[in-house]
Amino acid sequence: MYTAPLQALIDELGRLPGVGPKSAQRMAFHLLKVAPEDALRLTEAITAVKERTTLCPVCFNVAEGDLCDMCADTRRDPSLVCVVEDPRDIVAVEKTQEFRGCYHVLHGALNPIEGIGPDQLRVRELLTRLDGDAITEVILCTNPNLEGEATAMYLARLLRPLGVRITRIASGLPVGGDLEYADELTLGRALEGRRDVEA
Amino acid sequence: MAVTALWLTDFRCFTEAVFEPDPAGLTVLRGPNGSGKTSILEAVGWLVTMRSFRGAPREALVRTGADRAILRAEVDAAGRRVQLEAEIPLTGPVRAQLNRQVVRRRADLAEAVRMTVFSPDDLQLVQGGPSARRDFLDEALVNRHPRNEALVTDLDRVLRQRTALLRQAGGRLTPEVEATLDVWDSRLVRTGEQLAEAREELVTSLAPLVNEAYERLAGVSEPVGLGYRRSWEGDLAGAVVRARPDDLRRQVTGVGPHRDELEITIGPRPSRTHASQGEQRSLALGLRLAAHGLACQAAPEPPVLLLDDVFSELDPARSEALVELLPPGQVLLTTATAPPPAVSPDRVVEVASGRLLGTGGRP
Repeated sequence: MYTAPLQALIDELGRLPGVGPKSAQRMAFHLLKVAPEDALRLTEAITAVKERTTLCPVCFNVAEGDLCDMCADTRRDPSLVCVVEDPRDIVAVEKTQEFRGCYHVLHGALNPIEGIGPDQLRVRELLTRLDGDAITEVILCTNPNLEGEATAMYLARLLRPLGVRITRIASGLPVGGDLEYADELTLGRALEGRRDVEA
Repeated sequence: MAVTALWLTDFRCFTEAVFEPDPAGLTVLRGPNGSGKTSILEAVGWLVTMRSFRGAPREALVRTGADRAILRAEVDAAGRRVQLEAEIPLTGPVRAQLNRQVVRRRADLAEAVRMTVFSPDDLQLVQGGPSARRDFLDEALVNRHPRNEALVTDLDRVLRQRTALLRQAGGRLTPEVEATLDVWDSRLVRTGEQLAEAREELVTSLAPLVNEAYERLAGVSEPVGLGYRRSWEGDLAGAVVRARPDDLRRQVTGVGPHRDELEITIGPRPSRTHASQGEQRSLALGLRLAAHGLACQAAPEPPVLLLDDVFSELDPARSEALVELLPPGQVLLTTATAPPPAVSPDRVVEVASGRLLGTGGRP
């Protein structure tokens, strides 16, 4: 129906996550209409991200060049490692400005249905890190869903013999929220994880 | 809890219809076979559970020639008005709204609007395989407390993950497989023990109610025995370890609540194989009534009760007993024949080939 290059563009856009055939079509026609330099900026951005972005050899966060910003930052505490599933989770943790340690990105969680076992995750690399660096605490910061919990449990069992402190992030209520709007599972977990009040 | 109005657009055989049942009592939907009586109940059911209690696929729900069905209902919940809306397209995502907010979890719906369904398929509870009875127990658990929904879905997901892992292992227990299997096993043990305990407790609460209902329905006082039989002995953790070699070889999970059975006996006889059709039917109704009774106890007001074609298989005496056993609350009932004399409906709606006539709907 369309010319070959246009159809190819629609097909490629349609493969992006969250983009259906209708949106792909709309984007393609938009790109067709805009000034050439605007469209070229997009292709340059895509080329740059593929050519210049690498994975950090230490923590496997996305990086430009050698080490990622987190690992290159000498003010960060290298004895504290926060293990996350995805580079996007680092952004989430960083926004809190509460954490001044380093990270380790697994790139997924245990999920046999999708064929993801420990070998598909950066688990061996984490072990190597623990072997060499002076790491004293590992914070398991995987998602609080079934797969994330299973991954945390797997890592906890794997790392326990190494003698480092292993912690798991708490589950609970959103700050500034109302108890009455909390779902019963979250509230149940929050009750389970209650702690003494310092007075 | 009562449905005050239901609007259907391009749902099943209805192009456009409005259904206004009696808000407190019994509404009878009457019409010949294939006129769309059950579809009305199905629409109510779909809005509350986001699935068809007839197990129909989505394509079957959209009127032939249309590309989407739209359902809307207003429900009175303890004096508050609850609005339900659903858009069911032939392809693409289903949209469901509760009070104009997108529904994120089915449990939110189940909590906002409580409902019990009796349908002719209920006979499968007695005649069918163990999975029908497990599903019945799980449904009753969720009706009792929406929190149980997480338990049921978690177990299902753990089992699917574990099965996938066993398939990948291909019968060989490498150290790597063992380490991951340990993790899934411990999840299985935790969820499994919790679900089995919840089901056992439920069965204990159901037993007297089932006996009472069965005695009234069947007209005889033969004790009905309900026994929950676990698929393992001792603690689940030990059983999972013992079953592991078998599981690895057969690539399935051999022990857990997904293999448990609810055994039902009438007197000394197992009901599945040694009871007559009539006894089985009374028993199936008794089970549903008991679950509904428990749901009534748990909720501040009785759930909406949907009775699909229950009289067709019951003699007048049993029909009468059933009506007497119904707890107070809104009841929506379908029938192809005139209801038994003992039934005095508060409203009758005639259904004829996709149109509603009578006091309850506009022609």
